[in-house]
Amino acid sequence: MIYYVCKYTPIELFEGFGETCAVLEEMPENFEESDQIAHANLCGFGKSVIQAVLEGKADELVLVNCCDSMRRVYDIVKNTKKCKFIYMLDLPHDDNECEKEKFARAICGLKDAYEKYSGKTFDKTRFINSFATFPAKNNPYIGVMGVRVSGVLEEMIQENIQMNVKNLTCTGGRKLSVLPDEMKKLNENELFLAYADALLGQLPCFRMNQSSRRNELYLDPNLKGIIYHTIKFCDYYGFEYASIKKNMKVPLLKIETDFTSQSAGQLLTRIQAFSETIEGSEDMDAAKGIGEEAKEKMKSGVYYVAGIDSGSTSTDVVILDQDGKIKSTMIIPTGGGAMMSAEKSLEKAVEKAEINKDDIVRIVTTGYGRAYIDSGDDSITEITCHAKGAHYLNPNVRTVIDIGGQDIKAISIDENGAVTNFLMNDKCAAGTGRFLEMMARTLGMPLEEMSTKGLEWKENIVISSMCTVFAESEVVSLVAQNKNVADIIHGLNVSVASKVGALAARLGKKNPGEYMMTGGVAKNKGIIQALEEKLGAKLYICDEAQLCGALGAALFAYKKCKNEE
Amino acid sequence: MNIIDKFGNMVSSATLKDSEKARRLLLAGYRLQEKRLCLFPDRALPSSGRYVAKIVMKNIIQALSRPENSAMVSIFVPGELLTAAGLTPYSVEAMSCFMAGTNCEQTFLRRTEEEGFPETMCSYHRVFLGAALTGFLPKPKCTIYTNLACDGNMMTFPYLKEKYHVPGFYIDVPYEKNQEAIEYVAEQLRELTIFLEDVTKRKISGEAVEKAVANSRKASEYYQQQLALRKDHDPVTSLTNELYAIFMCHLLAGSEEAVKYTELLLKDVKKAPKGGGLHVLWMHIMPFLQQPVKDVFNYNPKMHISACDFVADGFQKMHASDPYEALAEKMVNCIYNGSVDQRIQVAEKLAKETNADGGILFAHWGCKGTIGASSLIKSSLEEAGLPTMILDGDGCNPANTSDGQVSTRLQAFMEMLEKGKEDR
Repeated sequence: MIYYVCKYTPIELFEGFGETCAVLEEMPENFEESDQIAHANLCGFGKSVIQAVLEGKADELVLVNCCDSMRRVYDIVKNTKKCKFIYMLDLPHDDNECEKEKFARAICGLKDAYEKYSGKTFDKTRFINSFATFPAKNNPYIGVMGVRVSGVLEEMIQENIQMNVKNLTCTGGRKLSVLPDEMKKLNENELFLAYADALLGQLPCFRMNQSSRRNELYLDPNLKGIIYHTIKFCDYYGFEYASIKKNMKVPLLKIETDFTSQSAGQLLTRIQAFSETIEGSEDMDAAKGIGEEAKEKMKSGVYYVAGIDSGSTSTDVVILDQDGKIKSTMIIPTGGGAMMSAEKSLEKAVEKAEINKDDIVRIVTTGYGRAYIDSGDDSITEITCHAKGAHYLNPNVRTVIDIGGQDIKAISIDENGAVTNFLMNDKCAAGTGRFLEMMARTLGMPLEEMSTKGLEWKENIVISSMCTVFAESEVVSLVAQNKNVADIIHGLNVSVASKVGALAARLGKKNPGEYMMTGGVAKNKGIIQALEEKLGAKLYICDEAQLCGALGAALFAYKKCKNEE
Repeated sequence: MNIIDKFGNMVSSATLKDSEKARRLLLAGYRLQEKRLCLFPDRALPSSGRYVAKIVMKNIIQALSRPENSAMVSIFVPGELLTAAGLTPYSVEAMSCFMAGTNCEQTFLRRTEEEGFPETMCSYHRVFLGAALTGFLPKPKCTIYTNLACDGNMMTFPYLKEKYHVPGFYIDVPYEKNQEAIEYVAEQLRELTIFLEDVTKRKISGEAVEKAVANSRKASEYYQQQLALRKDHDPVTSLTNELYAIFMCHLLAGSEEAVKYTELLLKDVKKAPKGGGLHVLWMHIMPFLQQPVKDVFNYNPKMHISACDFVADGFQKMHASDPYEALAEKMVNCIYNGSVDQRIQVAEKLAKETNADGGILFAHWGCKGTIGASSLIKSSLEEAGLPTMILDGDGCNPANTSDGQVSTRLQAFMEMLEKGKEDR
């Protein structure tokens, strides 16, 4: 079995040798073995190839000099001497005549090398017959683009998107336009030139010099949305995403992994929220509708709905009455699992409202723990819920900035409170509540004190590192230099504001409405001031801000009941 | 705070409001610095060091003040042809180093962050892109780039070509190193000359190209001669000077200035006595702004940079008699092209030739080619008997590196090398 990594690989050539090919793009659990021989900052995909070779999963490998990482992967893999056959195919960056001829010669070089290694002979007929044909389909679809997507991530996307999903990443959509009958008439030189022409004639990957042809991908009228995948340390597609995103007419979701299955698993919320944005948050599943018992209760005219937001730090509940008014709210720290905390928080909210728990006809759950709570009738991501809640609290809000314990979200909403776009930080803690907690600990003061202390600053200190580890050592050395603590905190606040401000700016500055800030960090006065300066706008903050997610969930439950009435 | 710092701070705040004004400010600062270099040169440096500082400063000033006569290039584009065409080349690395040297890089980095460009991308490219996006970098006459030696080029240059609407020329350098590849590149370089004639509307004579290539051969000759003497001669060195040398063998290759620089360098080396310090082979680009690195390497009698692979590669001997083939040969045979083997061989040879006690490979953040090769380079050189350290860091963005960590690593490595020398 010949393994390959790039759609420009001449796999039909190997069919001509009677050999089968498979793309090597398994997402490993970790890079334990790769990290022992290669630098940790190599791109995740590169590391996955090294890992696969070390685990003995691929011993015949054809690589293409796609990028700097792949060139080094070749060096490293070759050095392990674990592959029986390893070849680096030189792929030009252009597709004009000189490059085609050069690529044809490179393919012939690969053919010779494989012949020598395997002792097999190349069969022209078998080669020509192996070209696949593609039926034209004209259905609406969601395109998965950017860099390769496989394994758990691919499954997760397929499962959570109801529309057709097309893999148009750098390894997907391999299509060669050839005419097999014409090819039969060619001599070997002409044949390989035609083959090189067909390979280079594919929709170019972003690494090619003339990548403007990629516009075809984005302009297809059947394309209804894009999930754009990038891998940490693979700059090509991160760069393409940044340069195209403003011109996209369809909803666009960017997801980033380090190409481990574990990093892919963390993307569920984003993919579900994206599906809610394009396919509506109303669930098609009849089982999630309103039951007969609940309908009976609703007839009495007095009933309640609840939203539960199961977050990493707290579990919040909001109960609304039959008129959509807030009846009761509750915030308790999350402890002892999502399920237990949810039940406890709900019970306390019921107690506070002095109502009968059975009068709650519908519960919608949201937040990280939403999938683990049995008592809910439906679950919706916190992104959609935050938008809904924010709109309820202040209908003029068009951008919600939510800084929680472990992530930062910037959400764009329309005049009805529906999500139009959203961005989240990656799994790095930079700029999150956890980052601030770490810094408070380094400075040896409680978070509450830190939140106001920075307001008294005098000297403008710049903290350049956003990495929690580096920033900590920067703070330590500033303390050692006897710098004023207020100035250091101000420096930290500005650096967090700059990170969050950049996220908001990426959503588009044109958003006309107000900004609202939610999440635990909304209590930090220093951050708020720095962020307002960065954004050049006032932030709307209210006491209910922390309940925004639970409120949104309750509003979804309420809306469902009203529709039923 | 020195002149440059002051101007840098002013530039940072002016950039976002009025980029033209910011550029004028920075230019004024650079011109003052140029005057200072002429009137009060750094007496601690040998004459070649003082000369190169002046020339590189002049090049940057020219590029920024006369953009209509400048070419935005990637660093491995043969400077000889630009010299022959009479254009001032400026590269991503050179420009970003100067921006970082004047403390205005963070403004540009933030701009790229807002644009959503990956933070894992090379900081030289990000600073440069940010400077272009803010309107700080003026529109050049044209842009010329090659895939050698990093992916950053294949993103930055096509993007900026579109953004500035300027003519662009791309040189494809194959992975394989053979005569066929040299001819393939030589043919493109001949086309490049025609492109340059079209762009400048000036004829480029065969003699001008011959002359530039002959200058490069002469510079290479001088450089190689001084290299052979480094075993027993230890001129005062600084990392900043090594960085400037990179610009002399690429951007300013083929110029009279490059010849004069190498000639002065040879004289300085001949004059310098043998010092008592350690010989270190520096590999890849230099984090010339980082304080602990400066503390260890600049003007330090206990530490001599005996050679740098990036510079030695730029001043490599060109064999082909045809000028275009000679230039193509330099590109194809570049240590950054192809597999890592040649890079290791060159490092080994340089270490042997200059009697190096140890090697430092700078793994610049975002440079996937070097980061990926680092562990192989280290293990191979150590097998050959050269203690080698991988120094992770960032050449122009302090946010990606930590002074304390770099200082500890460098000091510990020095202590280790000193112990090794004593034992010998």
